[in-house]
Amino acid sequence: MHEFSVTSQIVQSVLAEAESRKAKKVSEVHLVIGELTFLGLEQVRFAYEVLTKGTILESSKLVIKTQKGAVKCDNCGYQGGFSYEDDPLYHLPVPTLKCPKCGNSVNVVAGKECTIKSIKMMV
Amino acid sequence: MPALKKEVIKAEEGEIFDVELSKDILKANQVLAEGNKELLHKNGVQAVDIMGAIGSGKTSLIEKLVQQLKNKYRIAVFKGDLTTTIDAELIARHGVEAIAINTGKECHLDANLVKKALLKLDLKKIDLLFIENVGNLICPAEFPLGSDKRLVVVSVTEGPYMVVKHPFIFMDADVVAINKIDMAEAMGSDVGKLEKDVRTINPKAIVVTTNCRTGEGVDAVVKGLKL
Repeated sequence: MHEFSVTSQIVQSVLAEAESRKAKKVSEVHLVIGELTFLGLEQVRFAYEVLTKGTILESSKLVIKTQKGAVKCDNCGYQGGFSYEDDPLYHLPVPTLKCPKCGNSVNVVAGKECTIKSIKMMV
Repeated sequence: MPALKKEVIKAEEGEIFDVELSKDILKANQVLAEGNKELLHKNGVQAVDIMGAIGSGKTSLIEKLVQQLKNKYRIAVFKGDLTTTIDAELIARHGVEAIAINTGKECHLDANLVKKALLKLDLKKIDLLFIENVGNLICPAEFPLGSDKRLVVVSVTEGPYMVVKHPFIFMDADVVAINKIDMAEAMGSDVGKLEKDVRTINPKAIVVTTNCRTGEGVDAVVKGLKL
């Protein structure tokens, strides 16, 4: 939903980092985007292409890794993926905060991030 | 201790190197939200964020909550909308301070807008703050504001699948109010099914049914929010 503004912040952060290292060109940017964010990868790529035009990031490779959502149960200690409610009517399984092991409620520990992991640049 | 070698390792001209950054872009809002929470707590203010679709009854519920709680707490309300002060005026009629936050074109409030609005309040003079988000079941889930509790309002007139279609906002909810239950029959909506959907997605959330026109169920919302 907010791909343009988020991508704009990504591009600015990468530019600032590249400038501080006096880079002439950025060739790759690696992102990690959580499954629970509302960022559409297709839109992030499009915004990236538009926003990097005319900068040292232009035509750099954008590598996006999706971080699966993970939960932790305080009751039984389970840590791992979500349980899903799979009703054929919903077409897609709906993630839930129910512990897949004991059924208690769980806390989200991963999947809400949008991180610039690394940048490849040429000085 | 060996002497420091006065030599700095520099990349050669034309050399390619990797920079590890690990910078979280969404963290900026989370840090501001934590700041808001800290400021509110320092002044002894508890805050509730109210989210829900357009027309679900967020403002009506706040009006009823204000009526019921204004003798117990000194209340202020932030009212998020793209434009107009219509709802803020509705709330102000009940004799509490209401501030309209007009986002212009943004579909949600963010921690920075709330931070700015907090500057307009004398926090020493209030103990309870309701923050009504812009009507939207998607974006507000991505932007925490610094509230203690999150209340989601969903009405039966929005159709039978509103909860399963927006699981993420319900995951963030502490209390869910299923509103307009007086309309359920006319709409052919199954209130029990909506309740069950919320409990499936978020077993921790407290689910209550309300009719904000008459005030039915508002007691249970107050109890659910521990106010």
